[in-house]
Amino acid sequence: MTGLSIRLPRAKKHRFQAVTALLCVVFLLAVFIYTFLYLQHDPTLTDLDHRLLEPTLQHPLGTDQLGRDVLTRLLLGGQQTLGFSLLALMIALLIGVPFGIISGYKRGLVDRVFMRIGDAFLSFPDTIVAIVLSGLMGPGIGNLVLAIVLVKWVSYARLVRSTVLSESQKDYVLIARINGLSSRKIMRKHLLPHVVGHVLVLASLDLGKIILLISAFSYIGLGAQPPMPEWGAMLNDSRPYFGSRPELMIYPGLAIVGVVLLTNMLGDYLRDRFDVKKEVR
Amino acid sequence: MSLLVVENLMKTFPGGKNALNNLSFQLGRGECLGLVGESGCGKSTLARCLLRIESVDSGSIYLNDLAIERLNERQLYSHRKKIQIVFQNPTAALNPKLKIKESIFEPYEQYRKELTLNHFSYTSKDAFIRQLLEAVELPSHVANQYPHELSGGQKQRVTIARSISIEPDLIVLDEPTASLDVISQGAVLTLLTELRETLNLSYLFISHDLAAVKQMSQRIMVMKEGEIVDQFNQEHLFSTERHPYTKELISIF
Amino acid sequence: MILSLEQVSIGTREKKIVDNVSLSIREGEWYALVGQSGSGKSLLSQAIGRMLSPNLQVEGKIFFKDQDLLSLSPKEIRAIRGQRLSYIFQDYQGSFTPFRTIGQHFGEYLKTHGNRDSSIRKAKTIEALESVGLDESVYKRYPFQLSGGQLQRVSIALALLLSPDLIIADEMTTALDSVSGHRVLELLAKRQQETGCTILFITHDWRHVRRYATRIAVMKEGKIVESGGKHRILDHPQHEYTKQLIQAAPILQRGLPSGLEEVGSL
Repeated sequence: MTGLSIRLPRAKKHRFQAVTALLCVVFLLAVFIYTFLYLQHDPTLTDLDHRLLEPTLQHPLGTDQLGRDVLTRLLLGGQQTLGFSLLALMIALLIGVPFGIISGYKRGLVDRVFMRIGDAFLSFPDTIVAIVLSGLMGPGIGNLVLAIVLVKWVSYARLVRSTVLSESQKDYVLIARINGLSSRKIMRKHLLPHVVGHVLVLASLDLGKIILLISAFSYIGLGAQPPMPEWGAMLNDSRPYFGSRPELMIYPGLAIVGVVLLTNMLGDYLRDRFDVKKEVR
Repeated sequence: MSLLVVENLMKTFPGGKNALNNLSFQLGRGECLGLVGESGCGKSTLARCLLRIESVDSGSIYLNDLAIERLNERQLYSHRKKIQIVFQNPTAALNPKLKIKESIFEPYEQYRKELTLNHFSYTSKDAFIRQLLEAVELPSHVANQYPHELSGGQKQRVTIARSISIEPDLIVLDEPTASLDVISQGAVLTLLTELRETLNLSYLFISHDLAAVKQMSQRIMVMKEGEIVDQFNQEHLFSTERHPYTKELISIF
Repeated sequence: MILSLEQVSIGTREKKIVDNVSLSIREGEWYALVGQSGSGKSLLSQAIGRMLSPNLQVEGKIFFKDQDLLSLSPKEIRAIRGQRLSYIFQDYQGSFTPFRTIGQHFGEYLKTHGNRDSSIRKAKTIEALESVGLDESVYKRYPFQLSGGQLQRVSIALALLLSPDLIIADEMTTALDSVSGHRVLELLAKRQQETGCTILFITHDWRHVRRYATRIAVMKEGKIVESGGKHRILDHPQHEYTKQLIQAAPILQRGLPSGLEEVGSL
């Protein structure tokens, strides 16, 4: 499922693209927030008298099989999908980054223990963990987020650790130690800034994959549960009406593709920005 | 009274390189003691032992009559504000992500509560950094630059500014000019001598460059394979009593 | 003249880094090019072997004997490089592939230049190692098992392997401490006497070369500011910058910077 993520060709200068992508993301977020604040339709209110309506002024994208406003659900669904993806990513970062820094800086026993714990988590693919968790604890978006966090944090911990391992060998860390800085302060002041760039790049590329994963799981009924609006779930819900009202599937589909594309563009830009070694004379 | 007394210092490593073998010497207050040797002779190990980054196998190191190898964590903390080190490679010694002023300010920020400064005065952070940059002859706008914007010689001046900022008793200079080109080397050596005089500092100057050591130090020790094989005042450098190894070093320069 | 540079300029489209440099090196001499980092001396040396990165453009003419190196085809330049012109670099660790033994390095080098018999290759390698004072055991060692000084000896042996006419040594002693640097230079000088090759020695510290160089050129910001015989440059510098360079690096011995005794001082 994660293989669906779209790789744009790596252009040398796509600052323009990046700015566009960033603007789009900001725009999307603004729209989501706006819908949240000024909700015109209840996204879960079923109205069987007005099901499967053609677009009208009141329902710009029509209504679905239960008479709910599609635009409202699409926007709220975006809020859910993007929101939960970001939540999963945040938690993974909050666990993975400190884990990696401590592991790389302390080395020795701490490192070995930490990394073996990480290996244990990494040995399960994310889809398997998600399926197992929903089997054990019932389907739901919370469990999906948990599954993503359980698998994703390790890749951040590893990335951070390798950077910290090489960076903490340098003299400036030694000097900071000589000058009596506490380990915590060294990690925060000297080591954290070095990993931020790498982490951002990986995170923005991961965001697309996580969005796809959440949508995919909601599509097969293991993620967001009805009546919660979610793009993947919406795709599934409108499947029976594909013959008569194909746009009901096309809207959430386009939304998923669009957002994943955006995060990929952003990720590519960040990668170029941080990966290219600064020219030092 | 000597500032630094080292007695019968021993340190071995698996593999045998960089070891210290029964090292004893003294360093007086305000002195610049030169230590010459090839790479792998153990001179950097000595520097690391003095700062207690490396523990010693046996022997003692006294700084201000305090045996530093027996200090506990708390005492070690206050020991370290009396001793600073300047390394060979200034690029590695500065965090590339920090502005110059942040790097310079680090030791003072750490020790400010327990420090009284004689030469520099602290009114504000910016003013303090400006004083230090001035002391090492760098323009004040350097404060807001990043290390990669500076040349090697300038970066080494920054690390020197950092090490003098807390007015330590002793600065260990571990090959401070080895990675600089000739013109910067000369300028940095002159600067170090001036600073020692104005700030009343003491140096242990470690180098493989006998000519530079002679320029810097009154008293010179020659180290070979972890032992001090020769010790003399610089005016006796060309005396016939010199150790054969010293003579070999002289023949190079 | 074994090598002459005629009005060579190197630069990107925006900026010239080496500006209109001309110099000529005689057969069998030790020519030292002295300058600070960033003066363009390394670029110049790379231009001779046509090893510059493609975003840099070279103008002018570089004659190696009678051939203009800049007009040769890539194939012709490869034949000259290694066989008649070789390099020794500062970064002795980067000059060797870490996971191949010293013997394999020599073997490959001999093989690319047409030596097909593996036993002859081995014999030649050991002979070359012995010529720089290293014994047979080095043959099976990996680069990281040797010290910096030993690796630079190996570099010398490798550079001299196909008896080239010209060796370009780019800051080859900079990464070594002065004692090992001195020993390596002494060795290079000895090998030069034995083989009669010409050396272009690039350094930032004139002290490294004062004993061996026959002529010196001082380079600053892409231009040669002064050049001439060693005695002329070191003892009677004309240019302000040369004086500065000499003054910045102290030497121990009494007598003149070039190592000559002052007339009447004895």
